[in-house]
Order: sequence, then C-alpha cells, then structure tokens
Amino acid sequence: MEASEHKDDFIPAALAAYGIEADEIELAVIRAAHQTLWPPILELLDFDTSQVPLERDPDLSQAPPSR
Amino acid sequence: MSDGLDLSLREQAAAIAAGELDPAELLEATLARIEERNPALNAVIATFPERSREMLAAAPRGPLYGVPIVIKDEWPLPWRAQRFGAAEMLAEAEAGESGPYRALRDAGAVVVGVGNMHELGASSTGNISVYGPAHNPWMTDRCPGGSSSGPAASVAARLVAGAVGADGVGSIRYPAAYCGLTGLKSTFGRSAMAGHHMAEVSTTIVSGALCADAADCRALDSVLFGEELAAGDPQGLRIGVIRGEVSDDVAPEVREACEAAIDDLRRETGGEVREIELPELAAATLATVLIANSESLGGITPQRLNELDPELSPLGRGLLKYRVLVPAIATIKAGRIRTLARQTLARVFEEVDVLACPTVPAVAPPLEAPVVELPSGHLTADEANVRGGALANLTGIPAISVPVGSSEGLPVALQLQAAWGRDELLLDAAEALERANGRRWVEATPPALGAEPLEA
Repeated sequence: MEASEHKDDFIPAALAAYGIEADEIELAVIRAAHQTLWPPILELLDFDTSQVPLERDPDLSQAPPSR
Repeated sequence: MSDGLDLSLREQAAAIAAGELDPAELLEATLARIEERNPALNAVIATFPERSREMLAAAPRGPLYGVPIVIKDEWPLPWRAQRFGAAEMLAEAEAGESGPYRALRDAGAVVVGVGNMHELGASSTGNISVYGPAHNPWMTDRCPGGSSSGPAASVAARLVAGAVGADGVGSIRYPAAYCGLTGLKSTFGRSAMAGHHMAEVSTTIVSGALCADAADCRALDSVLFGEELAAGDPQGLRIGVIRGEVSDDVAPEVREACEAAIDDLRRETGGEVREIELPELAAATLATVLIANSESLGGITPQRLNELDPELSPLGRGLLKYRVLVPAIATIKAGRIRTLARQTLARVFEEVDVLACPTVPAVAPPLEAPVVELPSGHLTADEANVRGGALANLTGIPAISVPVGSSEGLPVALQLQAAWGRDELLLDAAEALERANGRRWVEATPPALGAEPLEA
C-alpha cells in the first residue's frame, strides 16, 4: 500500500482518535500544514540513521565529543 | 544636553557615564518618542513609566546605566507576566525576575517597554499577535519579522537603541534581517535564560540582543551573557559559503548583495572563501521544527486543545492541533539528525571559521500575505526562511544576522554562523563587514524617520 493512498483519511481519523475537535477553519489549517510537512516527514522516516549514534542529552553548548 | 535618543546604545551608555546625558531626561524622552512613533508600528505593547522610573532610581552604575531597553513579550518582569503574543499560552505564566530582566537590572539598564511578538513565537513573519501585528518601520505594510517583531521594530524606528529578543528557530535573526538590524543568536546556554516558561524543556531557545550594529550587540549581549564579549581581529577569516537552496533559491537582488558582502568580508579580513556542502541541511531544518514543536507540547491534553481560547488565531489553533498528530518516530529521527548535523558541523568548522548564507531569501513580505517569490516559485515566508534559520538552533552553534544591502527599499541581510562558543568571532566578523561597506547599512534609517529610501 502506498503511503499516499489514505492521506485524506489521516487528519480526521487521527483527530477523532485523540478526541480533538476542529472547526472548518482549523481543519483547513491542519490540512495545509499536513500538506507541507508530511512529504518531508516521510523523507525523514526514510533517512537511514541506523549508523548515527544517538547523542544522549547532548551538551548543545559545545561541539559533540570526537569519536 | 541633547535628548540622546538617536545615539547608539554604547554612545548613550558612555554619555550618561560621562555626565553628558541625564538618564532621567533620556527615559522621559524615550517614553515620549514611544508615544509619538509607536501608534504606526505597534512595536511596543506595554509601557510602565512609574516602574521604569523606579528601576532607574535604583539602578547601579553598571555598563548600561540609564540606557532604556525594550524586552520581548516572552520574558516575565517582576510586575508583568509574559503573554507570548497570544490570548492563551501553553504553559503557566507569572510575573517574576527572568534572567534577561536580572541581567539588565544589574547592568543599570532601564526596561522601558515590552515588545510585541508573533503569537506563540510560531512564525518568522510577526504578522499575527494578540495585540495586532507590529509593523516594519521601513514599510509599515510589510512584516517586521518574527517572532521578535516588536523588539526589532522598536530599534529600527529608534524608539530605543537596544532590545532583547529570543531565538528558538531564527526568531532574532529573521526580524533583524527584515528590519535592517544586527541580531545575535548565542551559543545554546550562553545567554540568560532563567525564568523563560520553556527554560527547563527547550533545547533550541536562547535570549539575545537586537541592535543597530555589532558593537551595540556586543555591549548588550555582554550583559545577557554575564561576561564581556571581547573584541578580536578576524584576520585571515576562512569563510564557508553554504551551497544548495539556502544560498541559491534566493531572490536575485538578495543573492547579489550577499555575494558582494561575502567578497567584502574576505577582502577586509584578508581571508578566503570556499564552498561547503551540508547534505543533511533539509533534514536538519525539518528536525529543528519537529523538536521545537514537540518541546512545547508537555502541558497539552486533547481536552485542553478542545478548550483553546477563541481569541487565539485560527492559524495558531490549527497548528497546535496538528503538532499533536506528528508521529513520535519522526521526532526520534529528528534527534538522530541533530547528532548527524552536529558531527558534520564539527568537521566543517575545522576547515572554516564561519559559514555564510542569506539570513532570509527575500525581503520582508506584505503583512497581509507573507509569501515570497523565489526562483523556485512562490513559498510562504516561513517555509523559505526556516531553510537558513534552523540549523543553529538544532545544533547549538551561534549565528548572527548583519544588514548588507537593500532590495525594493527594504533591508537585505547576511547570516554568519560559527562553531560553539565563538559568538565573539561573529561579532568581530560583523564589525569587519561594517568597516568594509563604510557602515552604510547599519547606519541607514527608515524613510519614515526622514531618511532617503534605501538604494541597492
């Protein structure tokens, strides 16, 4: 099944699952945000990060420890 | 004595220290100027003359003694809780001494007003706020930039010489760029952050100064950092130009001005330029948005989302609800991208001292429709701006926006980023750039203040 097959169902189904209500304007905003963000999110999910060690609680004030 | 209103921040401080400028007169003149100029700008959404007078009366003779400052509606004050530009915040807010407030107070500065901001800090434009939008002093129908819209508009309109903002995903640098100012996003954790409603959870937000030029930013940021940001000589600066859409999918006049500025910087510092590829930049941009958004959701429940204040904008309400729907795996992947980006940058900063790219790819868009036209087509300003603004917040590195030109009568800005802890180098490089262009862009003032329109 292609990821895009049920994309129109995702928003109402997910909102309903959480019990979140949205009026028509909010729904339009949510759909627009989804249209913009979902394709790069899918790309991100495809990004192979298996070789990237998770930096646990990284100290963002400094460079990462050299490996 | 002059009223001192049009002096730089450091000139105000020096004139007061030398007894040439009466700080009480400066405060009253500043309040009068806010009253005169602010109605067209909506940059300052609260003043409290008695509190400001009391602050001055109790002020120590610190480095900013008597200097009036505007602070963003993101920082609590002892007499006022922040509202975050919104009818409703996601976190509890209460009056108190935020880190930036304490730093300003202890330096002798006077908080003279609260700066407007984009609702919930959620945009690079500044076109939505519970107070109504702030306006760009260069063209009042244009966006001032966000989310530190009011602090930027306040300084650009010379209501004050310096303002304190906050930067979680570019929120100091975007408004600095749109308003023709200098704005530094500090290395994560280096500037005052206490009292921010997300201080315990955010891994992207920092406080920082918005001023006319780098020397004023150095003075104000030294206060916010709690240490002097010493000036140095950036001779032999190794400049990396980030290749890809962040530098290439840019309005032609912006690209031209930024390329010229990079060349100016190279010549002024006797440095060198090389091209740098950041293959994971697009993923890093999305990762920043996902991380910043998820960090704001701790206090959210579906019920709370169903009871949002109706005065919150429909855009704000919709985006809050969408944030909940993003799958956790995406945020976990974002954490890995953060690691990857940090490792890449650590390697890059062995080869170059600064990374350069346009701060934003087009000048300030209309408030009514914040869309920009790029070679690739029309994009919302937020989609376009985040490409260059996010990396520093994701990885923790410092970044500065410096005015370097104009297009359509509006400011154009270059962003420089450096390795962790090299905030001082960015200020040095910005000052070198100012020397190279004869301070033309940092001394330009908006036509509404009686100046000639900007010409490229």
